[in-house]
This record gives sequence, C-alpha cells and structure tokens, in this order.
Amino acid sequence: MRLTGDPVGLMVARNATPEQREAFRVAHGFDRPLAEQFLGYLGNALGGDLGKSLRLHLPNTELIMQRLPATMELALAALALSLLIAVPLGIVSGVFPGSPLDLLARLIGLAGQTIPSFWLAMILILVFAVNLRLFPTFGRDSPQHLVLPAVALSVAGMGQMVRLLRSAVLEVCRENYIRTARAKGLSEVVITLRHVTPNALIPLVSVVGVNFTYMLGGSVYIETIFAWPGLGTLLNDAINDSDFPLVQAITIFIAAFAIGLNLLTDIAYDLIDPRARQR
Amino acid sequence: MLVRFIDALDPRQPRSRLRVALPYGVHRLLHDPGALLGLVLVSMVLLTALFADQLAPYGPTEGSLLDAKRPEAWQEQGLPGHVLGTDQLGQDILSRVIYGARVSLAVGFFGVLLASAIGVTLGMSAGYLGGRVDEAITAVVNLLLSFPYLVLVIIVATVFGRNLLNVIIIFGVTDAPVFARLVRGEVLRLRNVDFVVAAVGLGVPTWRILLRHLLPNLVGPLVTLMTFEMSAMIFYEAGLSFLGLSVPPEVPSWGNMLALGRKFLYIFPWMSIYPGLAISLTAFGVNLLGDWLRDVLDPRLRRAD
Amino acid sequence: MRIKVVLFLVIVSLIFPLFPVSGQPSGELVIALPNDPTGIFIANASDVTAISATRPLYDGLVVYGADGSIQPGLAESWDISEDGRTYTFHLREGVTFHNGEDFNAHAVGTIWEYGMTPTNQWLSYYDSVASAEDIVVIDDYTVQITTSEADAFFLSEMANGWFAIPPGYLAEVGLEAFEASPVGTGPFMLEHWAPGDRIVMRAFPDYWNPEQPKVERLTFRIIPDATTRMAAIQTGEVDIVTRLNTDDVALLEFNPDVNIVSYPNDRVYYVAFKNIGNGVGTPLENELVRQALNLAVDREGLVAALFSGNGQTVSGFVIPSNLGYDPSLLPYPHDPQRARELLAEAGYPDGFGIGMSCPADAYTNINEVCLSVQRDLGAIGVDVDLEFKTTNAFWSEAHYATTGPMYVDSWSSPNGEAFWRLEGSLTPGYYYSTWTDPDIVDYLGRIAQAVDREERAALYAELSHYMYDDPPYIYLYILNLFEATTKRVTGYQPLPNETFYLNEVGVDG
Repeated sequence: MRLTGDPVGLMVARNATPEQREAFRVAHGFDRPLAEQFLGYLGNALGGDLGKSLRLHLPNTELIMQRLPATMELALAALALSLLIAVPLGIVSGVFPGSPLDLLARLIGLAGQTIPSFWLAMILILVFAVNLRLFPTFGRDSPQHLVLPAVALSVAGMGQMVRLLRSAVLEVCRENYIRTARAKGLSEVVITLRHVTPNALIPLVSVVGVNFTYMLGGSVYIETIFAWPGLGTLLNDAINDSDFPLVQAITIFIAAFAIGLNLLTDIAYDLIDPRARQR
Repeated sequence: MLVRFIDALDPRQPRSRLRVALPYGVHRLLHDPGALLGLVLVSMVLLTALFADQLAPYGPTEGSLLDAKRPEAWQEQGLPGHVLGTDQLGQDILSRVIYGARVSLAVGFFGVLLASAIGVTLGMSAGYLGGRVDEAITAVVNLLLSFPYLVLVIIVATVFGRNLLNVIIIFGVTDAPVFARLVRGEVLRLRNVDFVVAAVGLGVPTWRILLRHLLPNLVGPLVTLMTFEMSAMIFYEAGLSFLGLSVPPEVPSWGNMLALGRKFLYIFPWMSIYPGLAISLTAFGVNLLGDWLRDVLDPRLRRAD
Repeated sequence: MRIKVVLFLVIVSLIFPLFPVSGQPSGELVIALPNDPTGIFIANASDVTAISATRPLYDGLVVYGADGSIQPGLAESWDISEDGRTYTFHLREGVTFHNGEDFNAHAVGTIWEYGMTPTNQWLSYYDSVASAEDIVVIDDYTVQITTSEADAFFLSEMANGWFAIPPGYLAEVGLEAFEASPVGTGPFMLEHWAPGDRIVMRAFPDYWNPEQPKVERLTFRIIPDATTRMAAIQTGEVDIVTRLNTDDVALLEFNPDVNIVSYPNDRVYYVAFKNIGNGVGTPLENELVRQALNLAVDREGLVAALFSGNGQTVSGFVIPSNLGYDPSLLPYPHDPQRARELLAEAGYPDGFGIGMSCPADAYTNINEVCLSVQRDLGAIGVDVDLEFKTTNAFWSEAHYATTGPMYVDSWSSPNGEAFWRLEGSLTPGYYYSTWTDPDIVDYLGRIAQAVDREERAALYAELSHYMYDDPPYIYLYILNLFEATTKRVTGYQPLPNETFYLNEVGVDG
C-alpha cells in the first residue's frame, strides 16, 4: 500500500533542486519500483521490523509502543465507562420495559447512533472545560484529564450495549427456566441477579471485543480533539504528512491487534456459553 | 411444472409474505409512535432531497461576502432573507442544509446499494458454493470485520482522494463485508430448508435457485441492515469531513458544513448547529424506521436487536 | 510576642514580591503548538513548528533583530573581504554548551559538516549552510568562512540556521542519540521530550547573557485541533497560542484574561499562472489576459469580508516591509469593465474556461478565497473549473503537472527582502516554479550578486514594475497574523518569520 501524494514534496525544502530531491529519494528507497518497496516492507514486517518513520527518523515500532499506553488507557476507560452504565441500565430496562428507566435506556441507545462523537467531544469541552471549568481541556496529565475524552469515546458503544442487553434480557425473561423460577416462588430480585443477568450478559462478550476495536478507530477523532498523545493522533499526523512507512506500520499493528482481540473474544465466548462449546 | 410445485413449497415467497407483513406493518405503525415519527422524519428528508431546487431559497453556492457570518433571521444581526443565517462566504445555511440532504442521502443510499451488491454476491457465493470459495471469502470478510472500520475508511480515503463518487465507492467497498456475513449466514440456513433441498434434488439450475428461491428470502434482513448501515454512512461521512477526507469543501454535505462550522463553534454557532441537527434527526429517523422494518419484515430478527 | 511574629511575617510576605531577585528566571511559560514537531534537532526539522519550537535550544553566530536586521549573536563582530566572499567572525568568549563543553572556533563548522554530508543534503536545513565553501580556524575565537561566490544573502542564511552544536558531545554520543537529546548554547536546555505531547525545557543557568532567559521552565504542548487551542487559552491552560484567524480574535478580544498580539506576516497570497506544462497554449500566455484577470478580482472586498480588514492588498511580490518597495505602484483596482475590454482586445470577447487548483485548508480561509476568486472571474466570463486538493496532493512532486493551469498559493520571504519568494517561485527548474520568464531570471541573478543594499533596492523596484505590467500572478493580499497570550505573559513579541524569540519573555505569578 502506498498512498497518493509524495513525501518528497513535504520533506524537502520548497526551493530544493531536482538533484536534492533525487538524493532524498535514493536515501529512502523511493526510487525503487513500488512492488519491490512493498514486498520488501512486508518481508521486514513479518520479521517484526515495521520500518522507520520518514518524518520522525525513528523506528516505527518504537513510535507505536510510545503511544500505545495512552490509547489503551483511553480505550479501556471508555470501555469500562460504557459497561458501568450500560449493564445496569440495560438490565433494568429489560426487566421493566416501559418504565422511565427504560425510556432513558432507549434514549442512550439512540444517542450513540445520532450524535457524532467528535461533535459531542467539542460540546463537552465547551460546557465542562471552558464554561464550568470542571475538567481540563486537553492533554494527559492526571486522572481528571481522562474524563471528557473517555465520555466522548464511550457513547457510541454504550448505546449499542444498552440496546443489546435490553433485548437479551427481554428474551431471557421469556425462557422457560425463568417461568419455572417464578413458579418456585423466588423473588424478582433473586431471579434477576441469579438467572437473568448471567444469561443476558453472554452475548455482550462478543460485542465488547468489537466495541474495543471500534474505539481504536474513534480515537482518531477523540485523541485529536483532546490532544491526547496516543496512536490516533500519531496516525492522523502520519496521514497528514504522507509518512507512508508509519501509516503502514500503524495499520499493520492495529490489524494484528484487532485480529488477536477477536480470537480472544471468540475463546472467551466459547468458555462462557455452553451452547457455543457444543458446536 | 415441478418447478412451480417447488415454488409453492417455498413458505416465504414475497407475495405471500407481503400479504402477512403489510397489515402487520400498518398496525405497528399506527400503534408505535416511534415508528410513525421515523417514517415522518425519513419522508421529510427524502422529500427535501428530491425537491431541494424548489424548497431552497438560494442556490447552494450562491451568496455575497457582504452578507457573510450573519446569525439567524430572528437575531439582532440577522437578515430577513436568511432564516438560519449565513456561513463565512455569505451562503444561506438553510439552503445548504436542504441541498445537503441530497449529498448525504446520495452517500448513504448509493453507498449501501454498492455495499449490498458486493456483499450479496460474495455472501451467496460463499454460502451456496461452500468449500474453498467459502473458506477464502469468509477469511477475507472476517479479517475486514475485525479491523476498526474507521481506520479502514481513513486509509482508503487517503489513497483515493476526495470527491463524491470516491466517497460512495469507499463506503460501498468497506461496508460490503457486513452484508456478506449476513447473507452467507442466511444462505447457509436456507440451503437446508426443504424446498431448496428439493429443488437441488430435482436438478433446478443453480442460478435459478439463487435468484428465485434464496434472494427473495433475503430481502427482509437485507432491507433492515441497509437502513441501519445507511444511517451509519451518513455518520461516517461527517467523520471523514472532520478529517478533511470527504467531498471537496464547496460541496454542501452536512458533514462538510459541520466540519467547517466547527471552527466557528464558539463565535458563530449557527454554522454548525443546523447541519449537526440535520444529521442527528436523519439518523434518528432512519433508526426508528429500521426498528419498524425489522419487526415487520423479519420477525425472527426482532429478538436480536 | 506571637502577634509580632505574625505581623512580621505578613509584612515580609507583602514586601517580598516587590523585590524579586533580579536576573533569576522564574515561573513556567506554556506555549501551544499546532502540530507535532518532526524532531527536536533543528537541522532535521523540516517544518516551521519544529524549527520554532527547538530554536530556544540553540544560538547562531548572527541573529535577526526585531526589525529584521542582522545582529551579533555568538559572533561579536565580523569583517567581509573586498570580493565579498570571505567572512571573518570574532567569537564571543566564555560561552559554554549545555553539557559544559566550551564553545570556540572549532565548534563553528560542526553543523556545516553535518549539512554537507551527502545523505543529509535533501534537508531544508541545507539551504542555510550550502553556500559556504570552506571554513578555516584562525585561532580559538576567530574563524573564516569562504563562500563559493559573492552572496548578498549569506549572513541572512546564517541567521536562519547556522547554529552552534558541540563537536565533542556529538562525537561521543553519536548522531542518533544527539537527535533525541540535542545540545546547544541557547537560553534553554532540553529537559524532556514526549513526542505528540510536549517538549519541556529549563532555563540554562550558565547562559552567556546573565539577564536571559526570564522564565525557569518553558513547555510546548502539542494541540492539533484549533478549537481546542482556543479553549485552552480561555481556561489559561496555555499561555500563548499562535495562528489565530480574525474570528478567533473577535472571540478573544473581550476576554479579560487574554491579550491579543498582532504582527505583519511577510507572506504574499496569489493566484499563479503557468506558462509551462498544462499552461502552454492557454489564454494565460497572453499578457492582456493576465492583466484582465488581475483587474477582475475584488481584493479589497475579499480582505474586508474574509479577514475583517486585517490584511492589505498588494501590487506585487515586493511588499511595503521589503527592501526596494515602490509605494507609487498601487494594487490593481477592481475594474470588471476594463477587464472585459482587455479580454476582448486579447481575442476572448466571450471569455474562456480554465482550471484552477486550490490547496484545501492549507491557510486561513483559503478555501473561501479560492471560491471568491472563482466568482469574480466568472463575472467577466472566465469560467473557472475549481479543484480542491489535499495539501499532500497539492505540493507533491508533480505539482507543476497535476495542478491546473492556474492555482492558488502563497510564499513567505522572511528577511525583509522579497528575494526568496521571487527566486523560489520564478527560477526555472525549481519544483514549485511554474512561470518562466528570462527577463525575470536575469533580474534575480543580478539581485543575488548585488552585495550593495541600495543597488539591490533599485533592482527590486525595477523588477516590481516589470512584473506589474506583465504579471505572472494575480496578486492578492498579505495578512496581519494574530497570537493570543494570557495576561501574565510579559515581553513577548512574535517575529515576522513565524518563529519564537523567547529570551526576553517572562511570566508574572
């Protein structure tokens, strides 16, 4: 994969002569055929060498590892936040359909699909940082700095989880064993906690993995807006500056990460859901 | 003759299904205010897009720099001719939002059309032919699905550059795996249903089985998925605009207006509030409509939410 | 007794702040950077952000004064030989690098050797040292630099980038380590660099000027999003934000915690014509057409509407702050009627269609400028097919081939002379040069060799008239730039060359 645009145009002085440009080209291997560049790169990538950034003159692996903790921190915080709100809300709304809490749950479910996350991020800064001065505007200095970006990043996934949980609970409640439990005279609280919740949470496992990778994608916006020094801002910079080796490296890294995570959720799913285990 | 017999065995022929689905759908529509609201919102957006030329008071790129950055007509600095104010070029916000419906719907509609065309082809081949073909297609689809969609779109958009057709192609191609997965699953299920097994046994040509028996049975889940993906694409178009990777800045897409007005959020908020509202309301309407369609067209999916 | 102690302490605490220990740097200054610098070793820095952010680590032999003139830096004085090729610098004594190494004549050539290494020649930095041919150390504090030919701009180029780096340290740690943790003689020394996040510097206690710097800590924060930078200055999380547009200014103007600093920027915005590549055979080759297009554009209206009047229309590439500016030369008026007559005279009574490329979002309001030019040209029958390109695609190597026969661009020229702007855009063979005119090339050659200032000034004025009558561009405007600082910042003035000079900047409280 080689992007349009030419790194020479950005890296070299605007009044450079053709000779100087050629020297740059040769120094970075851009004079070789595209196929050769790509195959060489792929070969190195398999060996764990993701090449060197044009712009920052550093190994890409080093750059990615530098930025990875920040992105993980943000994505995990957003994931935790969405679970923390989605699980109780989804269950309650499923157990009490039509209640005010159910309405709230449906609204949150829709919010995730109707408010663009970058838009929400800016409104959060305007209201909570500039006007109310409750949280810092940007950066990654303290736990307070995590709050606004995590909220902005979590909303889309949160909505999806609430919707999923709500319908899972509705479905479980119709199952025979729940009716049996009721017939046995168990209290609604016990039924909800012991029987409904564990079964309704099973489909959530597969969604959590998908959500996490989606958050890695969403972090491109959110990190840029909150000046969060993670992979998202690194990717955005690399694209803006035509730093092809770095774009390739980040892409390959995220792909490998996503595939690994997918496998992990599949395994977890198999462990948790007895039906899946039989298959 | 035998073929006709097989057709009669098919329990989910569109005509017969419509006979059941239509009254049920109307019933739900009347009793579910959400569905009704969804239908109203989506119809409004559709009509706006179709009759943009008649509805918009100005052209999308018409305006004078002298009238730039004016607030809504009811505000102190507002101009009576520009109800929702003007942008930094003096272009009418209302008119651009109206024309923007065209661009956003075009991206959503044609993007989904392309994605489903590719997805159905791949999914049917994988599900029906099985074996090596299935393995290969499934591997690619799973790979693409596990990849963060946005990152994929960003990279593809960077490669191709910005214009309307490219944006549609990008969404069409990158979203195809979602459809392929759905179709493959449905086809795998339908292959073992009696009427298909019978048709195969009777030597009905493969193309006829695919077109006559499998495709009609896919319509329900497909239409439902298309609705949801359409609202997602309108969303992602806004996201691409934010990164400067969507249609060129003079094109009045909602995403573009939002991304541009964003720079003026603190001082000229009307430049971004109305396109933002348009995106949110459309996505809201399409989602409500999608919920209704799902219930009507495919009762089986109702529980999956 | 206890009351007396308390009273005493109260009085001391009241008086003490009135007598701060003089010369002792204090406080932290936080500056927002719009993008992640490409590196912190200035010779590798290929973008303005990197160059301006890392500048405080280094000192040059000569530096720019606030007025753009050349002032002594690490060299206290210098002599220039008769033929204008040999410069003898007398160096400041007692200067040390951040690592304790002494600065002397042997350290002067280090950065030149680095720039002359063939693998580094593509760096933009190379410009700054390229014309030096030989360096001779006369004694520990005297050094002679010889250029390949008489070069009117050699000292300016030196001020741009001939910085002192320590040869001993470089040899000891190697280039790679040096790039990650560079050392200079500048007022600030590097403490910590977190890519994508911040660069932290501390005042260098042994700086050769004991009065500088004024702040103890200097922190650059990287904030890519313009809206977030605006939020951060309002909350006081950063002290200086740069590159504001006029609407940002309108927002901050009434904020009691913020000062707005305005300064003129030496960057001319223009629409370029091509007479090479896809410009060949177009109506643009006709001089009358180019005059007509210049008359068609409403510069005044554009500056008033898009920049709230915070700019100036221009008559050419030599602007009022440049050497050789001729005030009698007025910008083309907005005269569509005359423009149509000229078009008819040129043989295009019904106008014509032409392609124009625009670097989307590359400069303040540039998209609107492109659209506005398109509208103005449409009014005289010139149908402009406008194409927006991403900055990457726009300034790619194939610039001259992939952009339209017309394109919108800008060019800065930092040192009070228009030479760099003219040379860069009008020298055949340069990558971003799309207009070839042997007469202009001849003028430029004479200017480059004219070591005498008055002679250069006369040549600039002559060239301006030539380029007014036979315009290779639609000249548009120059802009005032704006920056905002919190009220606690003192002694800050932005430089026209878009870099930071922070030796005199302090913070209260």
